[in-house]
Amino acid sequence: MQPKQFVDMPGAPVLGKNERPVSIEVKDVTIAFPTRGKGVFTAVKNIDLTIGKGEIVSIIGHSGCGKSTLMNAVSGMVKPTSGEVIVNGKRVTGPGPDRGIVFQNYSLLPWLTVYQNVYQAVDAVMPAKTAAEKRELAERNLTMVNLFQHRDKLPSQLSGGMKQRTAIARAFAINPSVLLLDEPFGALDALTKGSMHIELLKLWNLDHREKTIIMVTHDIEEAIFLSDRVVVMNDGPAATIREIVDIPLARPRNKKAIIHLPEYMAVHDRLLSLLTKSFSIEDEGVEYQV
Amino acid sequence: MKTLFSLSNLLAVAWFAGSLALLIAIWWVVSLVTEHEIPDPAATWTVFSEMLQDPFYDSGPNDKGIGIQLWGSIKRVGAGFLLGSLVAIPMGLLMGASTVGMRLLNPLVQILRPVSPLAWFPLGLLAFKAAEGATVFIIAITSLWPTLINTAFGVSSIPQDFKNVGKAFGFSRWKYISKILIPYALPHMITGLRLSIGVAWMVIVAGEMLSGGIGIGFFVWDSWNGLSLEKILSAILIIGFVGLLLDKLFNGLQQLVAYDKK
Repeated sequence: MQPKQFVDMPGAPVLGKNERPVSIEVKDVTIAFPTRGKGVFTAVKNIDLTIGKGEIVSIIGHSGCGKSTLMNAVSGMVKPTSGEVIVNGKRVTGPGPDRGIVFQNYSLLPWLTVYQNVYQAVDAVMPAKTAAEKRELAERNLTMVNLFQHRDKLPSQLSGGMKQRTAIARAFAINPSVLLLDEPFGALDALTKGSMHIELLKLWNLDHREKTIIMVTHDIEEAIFLSDRVVVMNDGPAATIREIVDIPLARPRNKKAIIHLPEYMAVHDRLLSLLTKSFSIEDEGVEYQV
Repeated sequence: MKTLFSLSNLLAVAWFAGSLALLIAIWWVVSLVTEHEIPDPAATWTVFSEMLQDPFYDSGPNDKGIGIQLWGSIKRVGAGFLLGSLVAIPMGLLMGASTVGMRLLNPLVQILRPVSPLAWFPLGLLAFKAAEGATVFIIAITSLWPTLINTAFGVSSIPQDFKNVGKAFGFSRWKYISKILIPYALPHMITGLRLSIGVAWMVIVAGEMLSGGIGIGFFVWDSWNGLSLEKILSAILIIGFVGLLLDKLFNGLQQLVAYDKK
């Protein structure tokens, strides 16, 4: 399968930054975990973040900076110690079908076929639909990620990219208004990763760019290509937001073309310096150069 | 594709034959060293084939064919094993699924598990007022532990990733049990059952020696009283082969439910 270079469909209405209705509000969220013997570990502290409907926002930072924890607060898998998360006007108290999650390690159920993995999620979220409707929904989403012909395979028979596409189809199939991706492409090789970015944008476009997407990553190029804004985290413990960087690149974006734009280079530089500053190793007498 | 006569199958048969040959060789040496106090394989074979001539003859309560004896034992093992599993699986599920259950029941399991089947026998007699019931009882109570422990382990070790899938997509309790808990725990359960049937089959001989009546264990004891060592050795072989078959049966079941097969 040859990925196309142009994916964002022209003609879809693109809302300006200030015209978007609010989708997610993270209000003064602090998340701390009790640790064995060592008291309390504060992962993230006093996080404030507002994300508009249809926005794609990446959270970037070093390992252990609490970016996944922050996202889990939005998904409802983790409860904030203080503060609150509001999604579509409702306070998050637990996981819900309005938020689809793509886990870091795919998390497909290995005893179910590709089709069943998607179908069971649809069945759990939409019990009111008829079996035929649920079947159609699962099949349509598998077709969108080009896995229809592999629907009867078990996850162990799939490549990493196919597993991740199954996980994405599963998250899209329940038609959530918010999509949460936890380092979704981290385990994939560079070529597969590139085509997965395009697949993701294709799905987002097919849905008229109405889904809000939060993605945790540590890949700067990936963050720039996909996102409207990039949230850079400080290092933990008690990580805070270091800076939120706007990506001033018009969609549709062409992966090959944008890297030569001065805006791209400026943003790339900015992100790189934000991320590399925190690993200064001056105290060892070595000057770190980017 | 694997065919019946593939190289790997033929090799497996060859190794099995080699293993049997080794057994017969050692047996023969032992027989020679003990000056035929232990009968040699040939003498045993003669008696063994006589026994197989008419395995289902029935000439009164103390003289029945080996087939009838064996069938009696298999029925008893089946009943005891089934009973034990009916207790072990729900208890294992409970222990695996709840911390309270685990903490409350685990010490009990650890104390009762190492108790010899023979120690349970009088209690069985007392409870059932009959040797038959007592034998089934001791099979049940000594064979249930591997199933219980493996079931509990299977359920308690469900990876967080799979639990998260259930949470994230709002699986109902039933969907969680049928699509996550059972499929994950089933291979562990079958492993437990496989170990349990092995224990049950081992216990049957001891149980029947105490209880008398019909059965392979009784047959061994009866042959000892009749001083027919050839019959005892034949019975030992039969016990071994049936044990192997039971194990293969559960091994097949294990392959059937293994979800990570390629």
